[in-house]
Amino acid sequence: MSLVGRLLHREDLHSLAAPYALDALEPGERRRFEKHLRDCDRCADEVRALTEDAVRLAWSTAAPPPLAMRDRVLAAVRATPQESAPIPEHTPQLPPHVWGAQPPPARVRARRPLFVPFATATATAALVVASLFAVQAGRTQDQLDAERAQSREIAHVLAASDVRTTSYEDAQGRSIGAVTSVSEGQAVVTLSGYGTPSNGRVHQLWLMRPRVQPRSLGLFKADTPLVATGLGRSATSLAVTVEPAGGSAQPTSQPIVQLALKSVGFGE
Amino acid sequence: MEAEELLVLVARGDQKAFEDLYGLVSGPVFGLVRRVVRDPAQSEEVAQEVLLELWRSAAKFDPERGSALSWVLTLAHRRAVDRVRSARAAGEREQREALRAGEPAFDQVAETVEAGLEREWVRRCLDRLTALQRQSVTLAYYDGYTYREVAERLKLPLGTVKTRMRDGLTRLRDCLGGAA
Ligand SMILES: [Zn+2]
Repeated sequence: MSLVGRLLHREDLHSLAAPYALDALEPGERRRFEKHLRDCDRCADEVRALTEDAVRLAWSTAAPPPLAMRDRVLAAVRATPQESAPIPEHTPQLPPHVWGAQPPPARVRARRPLFVPFATATATAALVVASLFAVQAGRTQDQLDAERAQSREIAHVLAASDVRTTSYEDAQGRSIGAVTSVSEGQAVVTLSGYGTPSNGRVHQLWLMRPRVQPRSLGLFKADTPLVATGLGRSATSLAVTVEPAGGSAQPTSQPIVQLALKSVGFGE
Repeated sequence: MEAEELLVLVARGDQKAFEDLYGLVSGPVFGLVRRVVRDPAQSEEVAQEVLLELWRSAAKFDPERGSALSWVLTLAHRRAVDRVRSARAAGEREQREALRAGEPAFDQVAETVEAGLEREWVRRCLDRLTALQRQSVTLAYYDGYTYREVAERLKLPLGTVKTRMRDGLTRLRDCLGGAA
């Protein structure tokens, strides 16, 4: 680039302080400007002042968060290593109190933690783990054994480099949530508040793709998370239907809830 | 205790200090994220991620570069904007339409009395900007549009939008100066 070109380019960068303070730059531009900030005092000063101004716009939006959020965040904090912390000698395990706001019964607490080597799980995953297992207190030995096997599969999804989460809650507080990994083609799906269908019927999970019949991803057992595998990139949503005992080959009723997967990177 | 002091303690792994910090910032963080993201479930998710990120990266806070609260809210805003843009890019139509409908900027979120006063003040100051300054600032900050998108929507040259943004923020500063 010519000297004039470089000067023009730099002049152009100088003008980005306000859009930067408003987070109105595209990612590439943001990176370039941040580099520029390191050696341009004029812009650094300006950004500092303009950021304080922008933050005034934030204060006026304050709103009380849902009460349950506090428990989830504090639980996740207890399970999440800090970035500056020295690397521990042992692989950190998810501590039992992450299972929920209520401490689990002593018998459960005494057991080896069910869960994942935490070093690889992301912050979001920590939150999901905290909420997924909030319901586990009071399980029987058999249930715990079954869940331990399953927890290995869940850990696998949580450890994926591209783990993402999505959830939907209806007005009655019933919810469906998923921890997903496009690269692994997997999702850990939780259903809560829908109860157990009457007459031995079951909640069945389906994979929805454009122009293809729904594919069964398995049956929910009570409120245990379901590990769904083989999700291709074309997956657009997950759907849950109520089916006769044992499940069906194809859905026989309308979905009671559906969860779009676009926000977590599927649906191409 | 002030947010600055709390952040220093949090950076050393003090969970009690984090609880206090949560009390101080969770309302502003959640409110801001919800203002930008709008979808309640996604807002909660992003707010949680931000609060957890405060825990993880408290050591990165540098008092030289600004106040603790603006560090926190800047982080929250960045995450909220990232989320709303990726949702938009993924073509979530309802969300896009909700944004396009230009919902009222101030009336949709339940507020605390305190926020209400601050909000009233900000509203009054925004009213003193020219229409183009106000739109440039709010489309970017509250709706998460890039300045290029703002320029397209307002049919203005890029340079003009950048200037309107800066003038708008500076004028807000003059007006809000007494409100802190
Ligand atoms: Zn500069």
